[in-house]
Amino acid sequence: MADVTLYHWEPNANSGKPMLALVEKGVPFQSRYINMLEFDQHRPEYLAINPQGTIPAMTHGDRVLTESTAIMEYVNEAFDGPALMPADAQDRWRIRWWMKFMDQWLGPSFSMIGWSAFVGPKVREKDPAELEAAIGRIPLPERRRAWRKAIYGQFSPEELAESRRRVALGIDMLEAELGKRDYVASDTYSLADINVFNSTYSLPVSQPDLASVEKTPNIMAWLRRVYRRPAVKQTWAMGTTDLAKRYGLVMEELGE
Amino acid sequence: MSEAILYHGEPNGPSLSVLAALEESGLAIECRPIDLLKGERHRLPGITESVALDFAVEGEGPVLVIGGEAMTEAVFLAQYLDEQAGGCGLQPSDPYAHWQMMMWCRQVTERLSPAVAWLGAFAHAQAPLAAMDAGEFAALSDAIVSEDLRQRWQDLRDGAGDEAKSEDSRAKIAQFAERAEGQLADGREWLMGSFSIADLETYAWLAPAALLEPAAFGGKPKLAAWMDRVRTRPSVQRALARAQTDDPLRSFAPGPEINRWG
Repeated sequence: MADVTLYHWEPNANSGKPMLALVEKGVPFQSRYINMLEFDQHRPEYLAINPQGTIPAMTHGDRVLTESTAIMEYVNEAFDGPALMPADAQDRWRIRWWMKFMDQWLGPSFSMIGWSAFVGPKVREKDPAELEAAIGRIPLPERRRAWRKAIYGQFSPEELAESRRRVALGIDMLEAELGKRDYVASDTYSLADINVFNSTYSLPVSQPDLASVEKTPNIMAWLRRVYRRPAVKQTWAMGTTDLAKRYGLVMEELGE
Repeated sequence: MSEAILYHGEPNGPSLSVLAALEESGLAIECRPIDLLKGERHRLPGITESVALDFAVEGEGPVLVIGGEAMTEAVFLAQYLDEQAGGCGLQPSDPYAHWQMMMWCRQVTERLSPAVAWLGAFAHAQAPLAAMDAGEFAALSDAIVSEDLRQRWQDLRDGAGDEAKSEDSRAKIAQFAERAEGQLADGREWLMGSFSIADLETYAWLAPAALLEPAAFGGKPKLAAWMDRVRTRPSVQRALARAQTDDPLRSFAPGPEINRWG
């Protein structure tokens, strides 16, 4: 058995990035499911692995790695298997640019909307005292503030409107990008595709007014290409919630 | 390589780290100074692909134009220069050491640089921007594609301060100075052991931070010695020599946004 262990939630957003990168590289790993909806990531057992309490995290031998995009870059460099970064320096720059744009500008908007629509209502079904105790276990004060907002749905109308603006603009930018090339940021499937796919794989069902065969043909054609990859199918089969079920819905939408 | 031009602001923050990385790489790329606070970055000639310029997360920084494509984000430009030069020693080859360097740089770009840019812009860019003629500012503003970046320019001109953000920024600078002193505690010469992009990127923001928040740097002998080592490195000296003004470390324009999640 490989000495790689991945601590992850669903194949979705940040957790899905290293999951898919490992599967694409053909690296066997032990999967440890961290249930974000139960706040497993702030329990002492997990904080012993990653004191920041963020998911995903990966151990490789005695090395501990955090931050999903950085973990993917490590996976690509440390293991044999198909290259997930092209050789050309300008392509590599473009891939990094798109990943940062996703991770810092567009991704937080997707997650604000995802939290207000999906995760927030789900966790608010819990006992209020239990929720407060869970918030109290979050190590970083700034993360505690962000989680409190997310858990209680305290996003202002302005914040949500700004997130919606960014999501709409980001989808337009991605549509334009995929009109230039078959894959995000380069002509070959790369870490940028894995990164972007994890935040956009369900767009045709979650944002049908923004992404559809008529409105975003380039995104739909790209989704079809990525969905067909065996590693994607294998990774999404590891999902356990409704999020992963969207996979099947999108496949239907794509006519696959 | 098709025609390449590096448009850069005063050697401070992202322009400083990229100019120094270019010197380290030895690549022959023409450098052209621009005035970031006049919005010149948004009116560059000969650009056919502007997405990365228009929506740069780091805000106003240097732009490397190659084959008509505008390339931005200081850390990635430094990586590009290193890789285009066939590896000039700015990135560790061991994957784990590389991961550590990238994680360090992310701490700089996500925590330190927004804090320094916020305080620096208020201290040094707000007054000249507020004094700008309305027509000139309107023309500048109109050239900015990104709505959120345009808003940061407007807020700065209006002097729309936010004491909570300023206080948080001061705290982040103090934490980072502490963190750097701790990283150097074992007597290492450079932050990651061997010299890397992390040294350039960190110095580029800590040098102006030390002028803004001197108290955060007191009693940190290892940090002071390291800052001296980076400052006197030939590549950094040559980058600083490109200054058009007497005081490049006080030259600012709107930088990255402060994390929206708080």
